[in-house]
Amino acid sequence: MEKAKIDAIQLFILIFLFELGSALLVPLAIEAEEDAWLAIFFGLAVGILIFLIFHALYQTYPDSLPTQYMRNIIGNYLGWVLGFAYCLYFLYLSARVLRDFGSMLLTIAYHETPLFIVNLLLILLIIYTVYQGIEVMARTGELLFVILYVLAISGFILIVSSGLIDLSNLKPVLEDGIVPILNVAITQTIFVPFGEAIVFSVILPYLNNPKKAKKVGILALCLSGINLMIVMAVNIAVLGVNLTKRSQFPLLTTIQSIQIADFLERLDVFFMLALIIGIFIKITIFFYAAVIGLGDLFKVTNVKQLIYPLGLVVLLLSNSIASNITEHIQEGLVIIPFILHFPFQILFPLFLLLIVYLKKRKKNKA
Amino acid sequence: MPIKIRQKKKRNQKKSQVEKEIRTFNLPDDEISENLKENIERIRKITGNSSDLIIRPLKGNDIVNMTAVYIDGLVDSPTVNKFVVDSVFQNIDPQPEGKKDKQGLFEKIFAEVVSIGEVKQLSNWKDVFLLLMAGNTLLFIDDVPKVMVIDTRGGKKRNVEEPPTEVSIRGPRDGFTESIQTNISLIRRRIQNPNLWVETMKIGNITQTSVSILYLNGIANEKIVNEVRTRLKKIDVDSILESGYIEQLIEDQTLTTFPTLYHTERPDTVAGNVLEGRIAILVDGTPFVLLAPVVFIQFFQAVEDYYSRFDISTSIRFLRVLTFMISLIAPALYIAVTTFHQEMVPTRLIIALAAQREAVPFPAVVEAMLMEVTFEILREAGIRLPKAIGSTVSIVGALVIGQAAVEAGIVSPAMVIIVSITAIASFSTPSYAIAISARLIRFLFMLSAATFGFYGIALLFIFMLVHLCSLRSFGVPYMSPMAPLSLSNLGDTIVRSPFWAFKQRPHLIGNQNNKRQGENQKPGPPASRSLKTKK
Repeated sequence: MEKAKIDAIQLFILIFLFELGSALLVPLAIEAEEDAWLAIFFGLAVGILIFLIFHALYQTYPDSLPTQYMRNIIGNYLGWVLGFAYCLYFLYLSARVLRDFGSMLLTIAYHETPLFIVNLLLILLIIYTVYQGIEVMARTGELLFVILYVLAISGFILIVSSGLIDLSNLKPVLEDGIVPILNVAITQTIFVPFGEAIVFSVILPYLNNPKKAKKVGILALCLSGINLMIVMAVNIAVLGVNLTKRSQFPLLTTIQSIQIADFLERLDVFFMLALIIGIFIKITIFFYAAVIGLGDLFKVTNVKQLIYPLGLVVLLLSNSIASNITEHIQEGLVIIPFILHFPFQILFPLFLLLIVYLKKRKKNKA
Repeated sequence: MPIKIRQKKKRNQKKSQVEKEIRTFNLPDDEISENLKENIERIRKITGNSSDLIIRPLKGNDIVNMTAVYIDGLVDSPTVNKFVVDSVFQNIDPQPEGKKDKQGLFEKIFAEVVSIGEVKQLSNWKDVFLLLMAGNTLLFIDDVPKVMVIDTRGGKKRNVEEPPTEVSIRGPRDGFTESIQTNISLIRRRIQNPNLWVETMKIGNITQTSVSILYLNGIANEKIVNEVRTRLKKIDVDSILESGYIEQLIEDQTLTTFPTLYHTERPDTVAGNVLEGRIAILVDGTPFVLLAPVVFIQFFQAVEDYYSRFDISTSIRFLRVLTFMISLIAPALYIAVTTFHQEMVPTRLIIALAAQREAVPFPAVVEAMLMEVTFEILREAGIRLPKAIGSTVSIVGALVIGQAAVEAGIVSPAMVIIVSITAIASFSTPSYAIAISARLIRFLFMLSAATFGFYGIALLFIFMLVHLCSLRSFGVPYMSPMAPLSLSNLGDTIVRSPFWAFKQRPHLIGNQNNKRQGENQKPGPPASRSLKTKK
């Protein structure tokens, strides 16, 4: 664990940017059709519950990393294995997001560039950032937050002022009842992006004021959830369900439909900046968590030594986890939520919390 | 094993001690002799009997022999003539009754005769030569094993003039000079408060340059003052000829193009910064004063911003940040757009650009590099050339990066516009130190744009942000008060809030006594005109 502290605002911004990350760009919960925003809402609600689970663990052990308290809770060996599994999970997720990013960039702008090169450049930047430590990450986040918000607000104004929004596209609400929405929420939005906030169990011990963690976490999740709902609703309102469903990047299509005064058109740069900023923060946090966790598990005195080799691992993994983009997306939507997200985001934390609770009760009785 | 290592360390220490003694031309530090002749011989020998060394024997009467020693040009000659030589002649008893009491005579001269503020008695050679070289006059008396050191420092100095590198429309017209005493007095005149503390030390083993740190006690952060002091004391080099030496020896991070110390020629800038809790470092022999700690946004603030009204200053600061961005990425954007992202430009504009570029034989990046490098050459030549030839360069330059280049079909007219706007933009940054780092980074941006288009630009930009966030100036984060965010200090960043809203000093810089004004400083019309009724 680094000797560093971040404050409440910085944690808020990191969670916020992390949540927006890639979710902002993809057709999130579009299987719920017009009610995509409602599916996001349910995802958010459960996501807050997940946050409360690992926050409860954090409160029991406010100064230690998950890899440390897991060993305290379920014994040295089992805890070590579980901690190691979590580190691999984070490492895998950083590779996944990196692959997402690379394929997106290839699709929207760089058709001829090899995936490896695009990913290499980003992972180099991420290695440099993680090398500088959590404080620098947090400070960079603060600046990127401002840039992202300026982009978002000006983009929103441009969309509204070009008269693209057609609210009737969002109707009817709850056409097939609530079941399909819950179905989408359970299979998708709970895990990505809200459940992924589990990675912040590694960041929370750095907070300088542990009392604020709960409030900050819930607020950040809510704000990012609301933003995602707005973005998805705007996408559907502008493009209609049909087009949104078929579009690989609905936000890009929405932005491309802006046309003002024959001059402000094709504002793809907006999308590209949002893409790079969001993904950059997301991978950086996953990667940082993996590095710090592994450093703790293997008792590495200088954690910085791990960054370059692990970065290389992420880079190679991002190239080899799927042979093409369809396979990659299929894995992400169908397989990963059940065999990885569900146990790591909900099952294991609940299990740990239960043991902590039982131990406490035993102690109180004795 | 550990013992061996310690021994080795000790030996190394001893070795470096010896090496340092050789490096610093060890001066004698034994007692001063009674014999006047012997003392004078010693001075002659150590100074190599330099021709500007003046040795003036003073014979008060037949019995007492005295000698004054000083360096011509370093002393204020009228002072030496009037207060040392004259007064010694006039006041010495012509009667040889103080025959044996030469010690008494020495004390008498010390206490009554020499009418100058600072007079010292030394019985050891230790500091004598340094004081002599600083412009003091030495007075020896035969049979007395002491020397009287009389402060007669003076000589030619440049007058206080308007600083040529930092011009302002509104504001004081005085600038620092090469004399450290003058510079300190210029600041003291602005802050007439006993809490303005000055500490002076000698740095540079051979040059023995005076370096002063100046700060407001009670406002400046004690920790930072200590940090500055220790870093200055750690310096062990042979010479300090300009404050740039000091800057490079005490900065936090050397592997960066961004300056982490501010240098200025304006006393009002220094006074304003000292009042915010910063520490000024003055170096003898240069008009450039260093300020620490500084934050990034300070390099976009000119002292004039505080003299004009807040709305004007705020808009101008926005303009400066914009111009900084232009000078960084304008050519890179041009390259990216014409090479990779043609679809992002409105159709008619891209047709116009393409038509211009049709005859140009180079790819956009070569074109841009060619013009930017030409411009940098012109700029460098413009600085070095004698004034009389300067105008020639500007004429030739206008031809090279202007119409002629376009007509020759080497570059496109759009490129000329881009290069010109970049050049002008980089001049509008108030601080030369930050403008020059932008010049350097611009080429990196151009290269990344040429290889990866907008993706390259965005990555390099985020890289720059991460790097900026990782910098610190004497422990203060470089991007504060934006990152880490400090809401109460945001009023003096890119925006300049009105004076009545300047309630707090920068938190991280001077962490004590943060309040800087009373309540209710907002001015308004007289009460009789107010709509509020008084209760």
